[in-house]
Amino acid sequence: MPGYQPRRHGRRGLAAAAALAVALPLAACSEAGDTGQDGTTTITLSMQNADVKTADPATWAIVEAFESANPDIDVEVSGQPVSEHLQSLSIAAQSDTLPDIFWVYKSNAEEMLAGDRLLDLRPILQEQGVIEHLPATTVEHFTSGDTVFGVPYQGLLTGLWTNTKVLEDHGLAMPSTFDELLQVAEELDDDGVVTISNGASQSAFSVWQFLVWLDRFGFEDRMDGLLDGSESWDNPDFVRMYEHIAELRDAGAFSSNVATQTYQQAVDQFLQGDAAFLDAGVWAAGAIQDSDVAPHAAFWKGPTFADGVGEQNIIMNVASAPLAVAKKVGEDDAKLAAVERFLGFYYSDEAQQLMVDNGQPPVTTYEPTLEESEQSVLSAALDAASEDGVAAPATQPDLVFPVAVANAIYDSIYGVIQDQLTPTEAAALVQRALEAE
Amino acid sequence: MIWLSSRSRIAVMVLPALVLFTAFFAYPVLYGTGYSLTDAQGFSEPRLIGLDNYATLGDDPFFWLSLKNTVIILVVSVAFLVPASFALALLMQQRIRAAGALRALLFGPAIVAPILVGLVWVFILDPRVGLLNRLLVPLGIPEIQWIGGDSLTPYSIALVFSWASIGFAMTIFYAGLQQLPGDVMEASSLDGATRWQQLLHVTVPMMRETVGIVSILLVTNVFKIFELVYMLTGGGPVHRSETLVSYMYFVTFTSQRYGSGMAIAVVVLVLGALTSLAYLVLARRGRSA
Repeated sequence: MPGYQPRRHGRRGLAAAAALAVALPLAACSEAGDTGQDGTTTITLSMQNADVKTADPATWAIVEAFESANPDIDVEVSGQPVSEHLQSLSIAAQSDTLPDIFWVYKSNAEEMLAGDRLLDLRPILQEQGVIEHLPATTVEHFTSGDTVFGVPYQGLLTGLWTNTKVLEDHGLAMPSTFDELLQVAEELDDDGVVTISNGASQSAFSVWQFLVWLDRFGFEDRMDGLLDGSESWDNPDFVRMYEHIAELRDAGAFSSNVATQTYQQAVDQFLQGDAAFLDAGVWAAGAIQDSDVAPHAAFWKGPTFADGVGEQNIIMNVASAPLAVAKKVGEDDAKLAAVERFLGFYYSDEAQQLMVDNGQPPVTTYEPTLEESEQSVLSAALDAASEDGVAAPATQPDLVFPVAVANAIYDSIYGVIQDQLTPTEAAALVQRALEAE
Repeated sequence: MIWLSSRSRIAVMVLPALVLFTAFFAYPVLYGTGYSLTDAQGFSEPRLIGLDNYATLGDDPFFWLSLKNTVIILVVSVAFLVPASFALALLMQQRIRAAGALRALLFGPAIVAPILVGLVWVFILDPRVGLLNRLLVPLGIPEIQWIGGDSLTPYSIALVFSWASIGFAMTIFYAGLQQLPGDVMEASSLDGATRWQQLLHVTVPMMRETVGIVSILLVTNVFKIFELVYMLTGGGPVHRSETLVSYMYFVTFTSQRYGSGMAIAVVVLVLGALTSLAYLVLARRGRSA
């Protein structure tokens, strides 16, 4: 029966393939992190970028340097885009299979803390001497009761990147006040040039400059009241802020395709010299440095308002969303020790310098060394942040609210920019979201 | 046939399909419906809140907007696609040169991933950098907000959806036309029917089943439109161009309101089922009339 042999081989092959197909995912799902036979401890780090190496070179460089300095610890880095990352975390939080260290929104971290899923980082930070190197407001921002539930992942230094050549070519001076910015917008619009490059498609959060404006209209004083419901978002000050966005829109400050343009296309618009300002933050420094705009790049904290509320000399230089540590890490001594060493390294001067080398501002009080010729763009941003008399708010307004409210804030701003909402409707939209929470 | 007529054997034969149906359809639907009755936000234990999520949807202007957009896309697509794809199928039946190549060309968009279809059409419809306005503006026509504005976007999405689906619908019609009995057509010719009369009184009535299938497929596909909106406008400006599914995605995953998102999913399911059912009932009545 010569015909039978190949069929039996075929079945065996099929069975082996099926077994392998079942075994492989199971192997992949098995928990990493226990100390291996060679004495190596693995810790997992889960981030909000699909490709951490490319999209977040600062974190990647820190992990590589840490592993070189600690050959007995292996850091397994994984990443997904923000919404998928948060979705995975939510499933993991419910099944108590959170990664060891992970990036998460502050409001989500607070929910996890309430569900007893997070490790109190205070003892680690104290033992590693990290706490005294972090700004007090940052530690306070990530503290609930006595528990420190997060540490700053990176600094959030945002503003308007400026192409001074565009202004010069049109005979315009660098604005300082809102009225001056309005005049610049009108004149650039007459010449067919975009004033502020923004992109709403798939990046509704890219309204960093206007979040600073909220602070220039008294957000910080109202923050607690907004959180406890004693203040409302549709107050006259915030409505006035939205009115100024509308004035800027009517002056032709924004690109006509702001609705369909993505953030990356907005960056490209600026890099190609087609816009005078780019609404972004230090993370764009690398791209600007590599472009023709670099010799003409400046970093502007944004306009001051004659009718603003409180301090106007503000720059958004705060801690971004935190890194949190899963509570179960505390149940494994080897892993806990590895996480302690990792966090100690992350906030060391060496790692902070690596951050700066990769285009991020330090999150500790460390004063970095900059290669002026190669990092002139980043240097401009850091200089603006440390200008005499400039103050930084405690946090960026969207970061203190649940994600649904943060989304309503973004919608309200883009709603006015795109002439879909009146200033009053925009303020009411956020108020509705606050009430729904 | 005797073997199959035993009830227990029929049950055994049906079991695999029943298991798959339960695991991949019934269970997720029930699970999602359960979630729609909670305040699930992902990171904390969900609490049962009854029908609150459905009541909140009633007060949500963006939900009504996304429903309106879905209905616009549905009406425009079905009203255009069914006759247009049927006409194309009739055309393909004629003896024309390179009919095979033409059929393949028309079917082409149906095999392109919707996300890529969206990407291609962004470069055509974008008001500032899109090909269409680049051709129209030099002719003195002012820049038109094909996408990204608050009025034309759903129609543009319907256009892109139609472009992507017409080949698929045409292929089903073409296959249906191939199945028509030749003797009936021949008899009508011998009876002196003109081609127009043949089409109206013989072909169209005999194609009723196929029309039903195509229509139901289109209706269910419209209720699933997500990638096109995601690529063309991201649902913007300010949710003005959301469809039910894209808005469900926003509510569920971007705003992390899992309970509310599942409520929208249930609404989509019910609307899709009702629309298909209504069509089937109407078609059956038409047949028996």
